[in-house]
Amino acid sequence: MNEISRDAILADVTEVIRDIFDEYEGPVTPDLNAAKVPQWDSLAHVQLMVLLEKKFGIRFKMSEIQSFKNLGDVIASIENAQER
Amino acid sequence: MIPDRFDKLSSILKIQLQSFPEHENYLKRRFSGEMLEQLEFCEFVAGMIFALTKDDIKTFCDDYAWLSRMVIDEEVHFRRHSRYRLSSFAEAFEQVYSNNPFMTKYMNGLLMTQLWWRNHTEVLRFFRDSFLAGGGKDRDCVEIGPGHGLLLGMTVASDGCRSAEGWDISEASLANTSKALADLGVDLTKVTMREVNLFNAPEMQFDRIVFSEVLEHLEEPQAALQALFKICRPGGRIFVHAPVNSPAPDHLYLFRTPEEVVDMVSSVGFEILDTRFEPCTGASLARARKLDLTISAAVVARRS
Repeated sequence: MNEISRDAILADVTEVIRDIFDEYEGPVTPDLNAAKVPQWDSLAHVQLMVLLEKKFGIRFKMSEIQSFKNLGDVIASIENAQER
Repeated sequence: MIPDRFDKLSSILKIQLQSFPEHENYLKRRFSGEMLEQLEFCEFVAGMIFALTKDDIKTFCDDYAWLSRMVIDEEVHFRRHSRYRLSSFAEAFEQVYSNNPFMTKYMNGLLMTQLWWRNHTEVLRFFRDSFLAGGGKDRDCVEIGPGHGLLLGMTVASDGCRSAEGWDISEASLANTSKALADLGVDLTKVTMREVNLFNAPEMQFDRIVFSEVLEHLEEPQAALQALFKICRPGGRIFVHAPVNSPAPDHLYLFRTPEEVVDMVSSVGFEILDTRFEPCTGASLARARKLDLTISAAVVARRS
Protein backbone atom coordinates (compact mmCIF):
# COMPACT_ATOMS: atom_id res chain seq x y z
CA MET A 1 0.00 0.00 0.00
CA ASN A 2 1.29 3.44 -0.90
CA GLU A 3 1.95 5.36 2.35
CA ILE A 4 1.34 8.78 0.81
CA SER A 5 -2.04 7.91 -0.68
CA ARG A 6 -3.02 6.09 2.50
CA ASP A 7 -2.25 9.19 4.59
CA ALA A 8 -4.16 11.40 2.17
CA ILE A 9 -7.18 9.09 2.35
CA LEU A 10 -6.98 8.99 6.15
CA ALA A 11 -6.99 12.79 6.24
CA ASP A 12 -10.17 12.92 4.15
CA VAL A 13 -11.76 10.11 6.15
CA THR A 14 -10.92 11.97 9.37
CA GLU A 15 -12.80 15.00 8.10
CA VAL A 16 -15.93 12.88 7.57
CA ILE A 17 -15.54 11.12 10.92
CA ARG A 18 -15.28 14.44 12.76
CA ASP A 19 -18.39 15.67 10.97
CA ILE A 20 -20.62 12.65 11.56
CA PHE A 21 -19.38 11.68 15.06
CA ASP A 22 -19.29 15.13 16.59
CA GLU A 23 -19.02 13.84 20.17
CA TYR A 24 -15.86 11.83 19.48
CA GLU A 25 -12.68 13.71 20.28
CA GLY A 26 -10.14 10.85 20.26
CA PRO A 27 -7.57 10.11 17.58
CA VAL A 28 -8.68 8.95 14.16
CA THR A 29 -6.32 6.14 13.23
CA PRO A 30 -6.62 3.01 11.07
CA ASP A 31 -7.51 0.89 14.10
CA LEU A 32 -10.54 3.06 14.99
CA ASN A 33 -13.78 1.07 14.97
CA ALA A 34 -17.39 1.25 16.13
CA ALA A 35 -16.57 -0.09 19.59
CA LYS A 36 -14.55 3.05 20.34
CA VAL A 37 -17.12 5.60 19.17
CA PRO A 38 -20.46 5.63 21.03
CA GLN A 39 -22.27 7.37 18.16
CA TRP A 40 -21.12 4.69 15.68
CA ASP A 41 -24.16 2.38 15.61
CA SER A 42 -25.37 0.30 12.67
CA LEU A 43 -27.31 3.12 11.02
CA ALA A 44 -24.51 5.62 11.58
CA HIS A 45 -22.19 3.05 9.98
CA VAL A 46 -24.29 3.13 6.81
CA GLN A 47 -24.36 6.92 6.87
CA LEU A 48 -20.57 7.01 7.24
CA MET A 49 -20.05 4.54 4.40
CA VAL A 50 -22.26 6.45 1.99
CA LEU A 51 -20.67 9.79 2.92
CA LEU A 52 -17.30 8.21 2.15
CA GLU A 53 -18.63 6.82 -1.14
CA LYS A 54 -19.70 10.31 -2.13
CA LYS A 55 -16.48 11.93 -0.99
CA PHE A 56 -14.25 9.51 -2.90
CA GLY A 57 -16.58 8.85 -5.85
CA ILE A 58 -16.65 5.09 -5.23
CA ARG A 59 -19.22 2.41 -4.37
CA PHE A 60 -18.61 -0.16 -1.62
CA LYS A 61 -20.11 -3.64 -1.98
CA MET A 62 -22.82 -4.46 0.58
CA SER A 63 -20.66 -7.33 1.81
CA GLU A 64 -17.82 -4.88 2.43
CA ILE A 65 -20.06 -2.45 4.32
CA GLN A 66 -21.08 -5.27 6.61
CA SER A 67 -17.60 -6.69 7.13
CA PHE A 68 -15.23 -3.74 7.61
CA LYS A 69 -13.54 -4.29 10.97
CA ASN A 70 -11.97 -0.85 11.31
CA LEU A 71 -11.00 2.28 9.39
CA GLY A 72 -7.90 0.51 8.08
CA ASP A 73 -10.14 -1.90 6.14
CA VAL A 74 -12.17 1.02 4.81
CA ILE A 75 -9.07 2.93 3.72
CA ALA A 76 -7.67 -0.16 1.96
CA SER A 77 -10.94 -0.58 0.06
CA ILE A 78 -10.95 3.09 -0.95
CA GLU A 79 -7.36 2.83 -2.14
CA ASN A 80 -8.14 -0.31 -4.16
CA ALA A 81 -11.16 1.37 -5.73
CA GLN A 82 -9.09 4.40 -6.70
CA GLU A 83 -6.42 2.22 -8.29
CA ARG A 84 -8.97 0.39 -10.47
CA MET B 1 -28.35 0.53 32.43
CA ILE B 2 -31.81 0.76 34.11
CA PRO B 3 -32.53 1.10 37.86
CA ASP B 4 -33.92 -2.20 39.26
CA ARG B 5 -37.20 -0.68 40.36
CA PHE B 6 -38.24 -0.38 36.71
CA ASP B 7 -38.68 -4.10 36.71
CA LYS B 8 -40.74 -4.54 33.53
CA LEU B 9 -38.38 -2.39 31.50
CA SER B 10 -35.36 -4.17 32.96
CA SER B 11 -36.87 -7.58 32.19
CA ILE B 12 -37.61 -6.77 28.56
CA LEU B 13 -34.19 -5.20 28.15
CA LYS B 14 -32.52 -8.35 29.43
CA ILE B 15 -34.49 -10.52 26.99
CA GLN B 16 -33.72 -8.13 24.13
CA LEU B 17 -30.00 -8.20 24.84
CA GLN B 18 -30.00 -12.01 24.94
CA SER B 19 -31.64 -11.95 21.52
CA PHE B 20 -29.53 -9.13 20.06
CA PRO B 21 -26.29 -8.72 22.07
CA GLU B 22 -24.66 -6.50 19.45
CA HIS B 23 -27.34 -3.91 20.24
CA GLU B 24 -26.00 -3.29 23.75
CA ASN B 25 -24.12 -0.07 22.96
CA TYR B 26 -27.13 1.32 21.13
CA LEU B 27 -29.47 0.55 24.02
CA LYS B 28 -27.03 1.99 26.56
CA ARG B 29 -27.06 5.17 24.54
CA ARG B 30 -30.82 5.08 24.20
CA PHE B 31 -31.33 5.14 27.98
CA SER B 32 -28.35 7.28 29.02
CA GLY B 33 -29.42 10.59 30.46
CA GLU B 34 -33.10 9.73 30.63
CA MET B 35 -34.99 11.65 33.31
CA LEU B 36 -37.07 9.88 35.96
CA GLU B 37 -40.35 10.78 34.25
CA GLN B 38 -39.06 9.36 30.98
CA LEU B 39 -38.06 6.08 32.64
CA GLU B 40 -41.43 5.93 34.39
CA PHE B 41 -43.13 6.27 31.02
CA CYS B 42 -40.86 3.58 29.56
CA GLU B 43 -41.95 1.31 32.42
CA PHE B 44 -45.58 2.04 31.49
CA VAL B 45 -44.88 1.17 27.83
CA ALA B 46 -43.00 -1.96 28.89
CA GLY B 47 -46.08 -2.99 30.87
CA MET B 48 -48.26 -2.60 27.78
CA ILE B 49 -45.78 -4.59 25.69
CA PHE B 50 -45.77 -7.41 28.25
CA ALA B 51 -49.58 -7.41 28.17
CA LEU B 52 -49.55 -7.65 24.37
CA THR B 53 -46.80 -10.22 23.98
CA LYS B 54 -47.53 -12.38 27.04
CA ASP B 55 -45.27 -15.45 27.03
CA ASP B 56 -44.04 -14.69 23.53
CA ILE B 57 -41.83 -11.71 24.34
CA LYS B 58 -38.71 -13.49 23.08
CA THR B 59 -40.23 -13.82 19.59
CA PHE B 60 -40.95 -10.09 19.55
CA CYS B 61 -37.38 -9.34 20.63
CA ASP B 62 -36.05 -11.67 17.91
CA ASP B 63 -38.25 -9.92 15.37
CA TYR B 64 -36.93 -6.55 16.52
CA ALA B 65 -33.39 -7.80 15.89
CA TRP B 66 -34.50 -8.98 12.44
CA LEU B 67 -36.10 -5.57 11.73
CA SER B 68 -32.97 -3.71 12.81
CA ARG B 69 -30.86 -5.68 10.34
CA MET B 70 -33.49 -5.50 7.59
CA VAL B 71 -33.72 -1.69 7.60
CA ILE B 72 -29.98 -1.43 6.90
CA ASP B 73 -30.61 -2.24 3.22
CA GLU B 74 -33.25 0.49 3.09
CA GLU B 75 -30.85 2.90 4.78
CA VAL B 76 -28.13 2.20 2.22
CA HIS B 77 -30.56 2.85 -0.64
CA PHE B 78 -31.87 6.02 0.99
CA ARG B 79 -28.41 7.44 1.69
CA ARG B 80 -27.17 6.70 -1.82
CA HIS B 81 -30.20 7.96 -3.74
CA SER B 82 -31.84 10.45 -1.31
CA ARG B 83 -35.23 8.81 -1.84
CA TYR B 84 -37.21 5.86 -0.58
CA ARG B 85 -36.96 2.63 -2.57
CA LEU B 86 -40.68 2.33 -3.29
CA SER B 87 -43.03 5.02 -4.54
CA SER B 88 -46.35 3.27 -5.15
CA PHE B 89 -48.84 1.47 -2.94
CA ALA B 90 -49.02 -1.33 -5.52
CA GLU B 91 -45.29 -2.00 -5.07
CA ALA B 92 -45.63 -1.93 -1.28
CA PHE B 93 -48.56 -4.33 -1.44
CA GLU B 94 -46.69 -6.73 -3.70
CA GLN B 95 -43.43 -6.65 -1.76
CA VAL B 96 -44.59 -6.14 1.82
CA TYR B 97 -48.29 -6.12 2.69
CA SER B 98 -49.17 -9.35 0.85
CA ASN B 99 -46.29 -11.22 2.49
CA ASN B 100 -47.87 -12.46 5.72
CA PRO B 101 -44.78 -13.98 7.38
CA PHE B 102 -42.82 -10.78 6.62
CA MET B 103 -45.65 -8.60 7.95
CA THR B 104 -45.90 -10.55 11.20
CA LYS B 105 -42.20 -10.13 11.95
CA TYR B 106 -42.29 -6.50 10.82
CA MET B 107 -45.26 -5.63 13.05
CA ASN B 108 -43.72 -7.47 16.02
CA GLY B 109 -40.46 -5.59 15.55
CA LEU B 110 -42.25 -2.26 15.22
CA LEU B 111 -44.03 -2.83 18.52
CA MET B 112 -40.64 -3.12 20.23
CA THR B 113 -39.47 0.14 18.62
CA GLN B 114 -42.01 1.93 20.83
CA LEU B 115 -39.55 1.24 23.62
CA TRP B 116 -36.15 0.93 21.97
CA TRP B 117 -36.34 3.91 19.61
CA ARG B 118 -36.25 6.97 21.82
CA ASN B 119 -38.10 9.11 19.27
CA HIS B 120 -41.00 6.65 19.23
CA THR B 121 -41.28 6.55 23.03
CA GLU B 122 -41.10 10.31 23.32
CA VAL B 123 -43.81 10.81 20.70
CA LEU B 124 -46.00 8.36 22.58
CA ARG B 125 -45.42 10.41 25.74
CA PHE B 126 -46.29 13.58 23.84
CA PHE B 127 -49.46 11.84 22.61
CA ARG B 128 -50.47 11.16 26.22
CA ASP B 129 -49.47 14.53 27.65
CA SER B 130 -50.46 16.93 24.90
CA PHE B 131 -53.22 15.18 22.96
CA LEU B 132 -55.07 12.88 25.36
CA ALA B 133 -54.73 15.25 28.30
CA GLY B 134 -56.27 18.09 26.33
CA GLY B 135 -59.47 18.30 28.36
CA GLY B 136 -63.10 17.79 27.39
CA LYS B 137 -65.54 15.01 28.12
CA ASP B 138 -67.90 12.74 26.18
CA ARG B 139 -65.35 12.57 23.42
CA ASP B 140 -65.91 10.37 20.38
CA CYS B 141 -62.53 9.20 19.13
CA VAL B 142 -61.17 7.32 16.12
CA GLU B 143 -57.78 5.99 15.10
CA ILE B 144 -57.10 5.27 11.46
CA GLY B 145 -54.61 2.43 11.11
CA PRO B 146 -54.53 1.42 14.79
CA GLY B 147 -51.98 -1.38 14.21
CA HIS B 148 -50.41 -2.59 17.44
CA GLY B 149 -53.18 -0.95 19.45
CA LEU B 150 -51.08 1.04 21.93
CA LEU B 151 -52.46 4.46 20.94
CA LEU B 152 -56.04 3.28 20.60
CA GLY B 153 -55.76 1.50 23.94
CA MET B 154 -54.45 4.67 25.60
CA THR B 155 -57.23 6.66 23.91
CA VAL B 156 -59.98 4.38 25.19
CA ALA B 157 -58.50 4.52 28.69
CA SER B 158 -58.16 8.32 28.67
CA ASP B 159 -60.42 10.60 30.70
CA GLY B 160 -63.39 11.83 28.72
CA CYS B 161 -63.42 9.11 26.07
CA ARG B 162 -67.05 8.14 25.43
CA SER B 163 -66.49 5.99 22.38
CA ALA B 164 -63.56 4.92 20.23
CA GLU B 165 -63.37 3.45 16.76
CA GLY B 166 -60.51 1.74 14.96
CA TRP B 167 -60.55 1.99 11.17
CA ASP B 168 -58.40 0.03 8.79
CA ILE B 169 -58.61 -1.28 5.23
CA SER B 170 -57.37 -4.69 6.35
CA GLU B 171 -59.68 -7.14 8.11
CA ALA B 172 -56.66 -9.06 9.42
CA SER B 173 -55.17 -5.90 10.86
CA LEU B 174 -58.46 -5.03 12.59
CA ALA B 175 -58.56 -8.51 14.13
CA ASN B 176 -55.01 -8.04 15.45
CA THR B 177 -55.88 -4.67 16.98
CA SER B 178 -59.05 -6.09 18.56
CA LYS B 179 -57.01 -8.83 20.20
CA ALA B 180 -54.46 -6.25 21.35
CA LEU B 181 -57.16 -4.11 22.98
CA ALA B 182 -58.51 -7.16 24.81
CA ASP B 183 -54.98 -8.03 25.99
CA LEU B 184 -54.47 -4.46 27.20
CA GLY B 185 -57.62 -4.81 29.27
CA VAL B 186 -59.38 -1.71 27.96
CA ASP B 187 -63.15 -1.26 28.16
CA LEU B 188 -64.22 -2.98 24.93
CA THR B 189 -67.82 -1.80 25.29
CA LYS B 190 -66.62 1.63 24.12
CA VAL B 191 -64.83 0.27 21.06
CA THR B 192 -66.00 -0.35 17.49
CA MET B 193 -63.67 -1.72 14.85
CA ARG B 194 -64.58 -1.03 11.21
CA GLU B 195 -63.20 -1.96 7.84
CA VAL B 196 -63.11 1.51 6.27
CA ASN B 197 -61.33 3.13 3.37
CA LEU B 198 -60.68 6.68 4.57
CA PHE B 199 -61.38 8.04 1.09
CA ASN B 200 -64.85 6.52 1.22
CA ALA B 201 -65.53 7.02 4.93
CA PRO B 202 -68.98 6.89 6.52
CA GLU B 203 -70.75 10.17 7.31
CA MET B 204 -69.44 10.46 10.85
CA GLN B 205 -67.52 13.06 12.84
CA PHE B 206 -65.23 12.71 15.83
CA ASP B 207 -63.81 14.88 18.63
CA ARG B 208 -60.41 13.18 18.57
CA ILE B 209 -58.67 11.67 15.55
CA VAL B 210 -55.42 9.71 15.75
CA PHE B 211 -53.34 9.29 12.60
CA SER B 212 -49.96 7.94 13.59
CA GLU B 213 -47.31 6.65 11.20
CA VAL B 214 -49.70 6.39 8.25
CA LEU B 215 -48.92 9.45 6.09
CA GLU B 216 -45.56 8.09 4.96
CA HIS B 217 -47.25 4.93 3.64
CA LEU B 218 -49.44 6.89 1.24
CA GLU B 219 -48.87 8.14 -2.29
CA GLU B 220 -50.99 11.25 -1.66
CA PRO B 221 -50.86 12.06 2.05
CA GLN B 222 -52.47 15.48 1.67
CA ALA B 223 -55.64 13.88 0.29
CA ALA B 224 -55.80 11.72 3.42
CA LEU B 225 -55.54 14.80 5.63
CA GLN B 226 -58.35 16.44 3.67
CA ALA B 227 -60.50 13.37 4.34
CA LEU B 228 -59.62 13.58 8.03
CA PHE B 229 -60.61 17.23 8.15
CA LYS B 230 -64.09 16.23 6.98
CA ILE B 231 -64.55 13.65 9.75
CA CYS B 232 -63.26 16.02 12.44
CA ARG B 233 -66.04 17.73 14.37
CA PRO B 234 -65.65 21.55 14.63
CA GLY B 235 -63.59 22.10 17.78
CA GLY B 236 -62.23 18.57 17.51
CA ARG B 237 -58.54 17.70 17.53
CA ILE B 238 -56.23 15.54 15.47
CA PHE B 239 -52.94 13.89 16.37
CA VAL B 240 -50.62 13.32 13.40
CA HIS B 241 -47.28 11.56 13.66
CA ALA B 242 -45.04 10.99 10.65
CA PRO B 243 -41.32 10.28 10.35
CA VAL B 244 -38.88 12.42 8.41
CA ASN B 245 -35.99 10.80 6.49
CA SER B 246 -36.96 7.36 7.69
CA PRO B 247 -36.35 4.61 5.11
CA ALA B 248 -38.41 1.44 5.58
CA PRO B 249 -39.60 -1.26 3.17
CA ASP B 250 -43.11 0.22 2.92
CA HIS B 251 -42.48 3.95 3.22
CA LEU B 252 -43.51 5.81 0.08
CA TYR B 253 -43.77 9.52 0.83
CA LEU B 254 -40.56 11.22 1.88
CA PHE B 255 -40.87 14.13 4.29
CA ARG B 256 -37.47 15.82 4.34
CA THR B 257 -38.11 18.16 7.30
CA PRO B 258 -40.52 18.09 10.24
CA GLU B 259 -41.88 21.42 9.04
CA GLU B 260 -43.15 19.72 5.89
CA VAL B 261 -45.37 17.52 8.06
CA VAL B 262 -46.68 20.50 10.05
CA ASP B 263 -47.29 22.52 6.90
CA MET B 264 -49.23 19.68 5.29
CA VAL B 265 -51.50 19.37 8.35
CA SER B 266 -52.02 23.12 8.32
CA SER B 267 -52.63 23.23 4.55
CA VAL B 268 -55.92 21.32 4.76
CA GLY B 269 -57.41 23.75 7.29
CA PHE B 270 -56.31 22.51 10.71
CA GLU B 271 -55.05 25.03 13.27
CA ILE B 272 -51.75 23.86 14.77
CA LEU B 273 -51.85 23.71 18.58
CA ASP B 274 -48.66 21.89 19.50
CA THR B 275 -45.73 20.16 17.81
CA ARG B 276 -42.94 17.84 18.91
CA PHE B 277 -39.88 16.97 16.84
CA GLU B 278 -37.96 14.01 18.24
CA PRO B 279 -34.64 13.04 16.64
CA CYS B 280 -33.55 9.42 16.41
CA THR B 281 -31.72 7.83 19.33
CA GLY B 282 -28.36 9.39 20.04
CA ALA B 283 -28.78 12.51 17.91
CA SER B 284 -29.63 16.05 18.81
CA LEU B 285 -32.29 17.73 16.70
CA ALA B 286 -29.61 19.99 15.19
CA ARG B 287 -27.43 17.01 14.24
CA ALA B 288 -30.42 15.13 12.84
CA ARG B 289 -31.27 18.10 10.65
CA LYS B 290 -27.67 18.54 9.52
CA LEU B 291 -27.19 14.87 8.55
CA ASP B 292 -30.76 14.20 7.34
CA LEU B 293 -31.30 11.63 10.10
CA THR B 294 -34.70 10.37 11.14
CA ILE B 295 -36.88 12.81 13.06
CA SER B 296 -40.33 11.89 14.33
CA ALA B 297 -42.70 14.81 13.74
CA ALA B 298 -45.82 14.89 15.89
CA VAL B 299 -48.57 17.48 15.55
CA VAL B 300 -51.66 18.27 17.60
CA ALA B 301 -54.10 20.40 15.63
CA ARG B 302 -57.70 21.59 15.84
CA ARG B 303 -60.55 22.11 13.43
CA SER B 304 -61.90 25.54 14.31
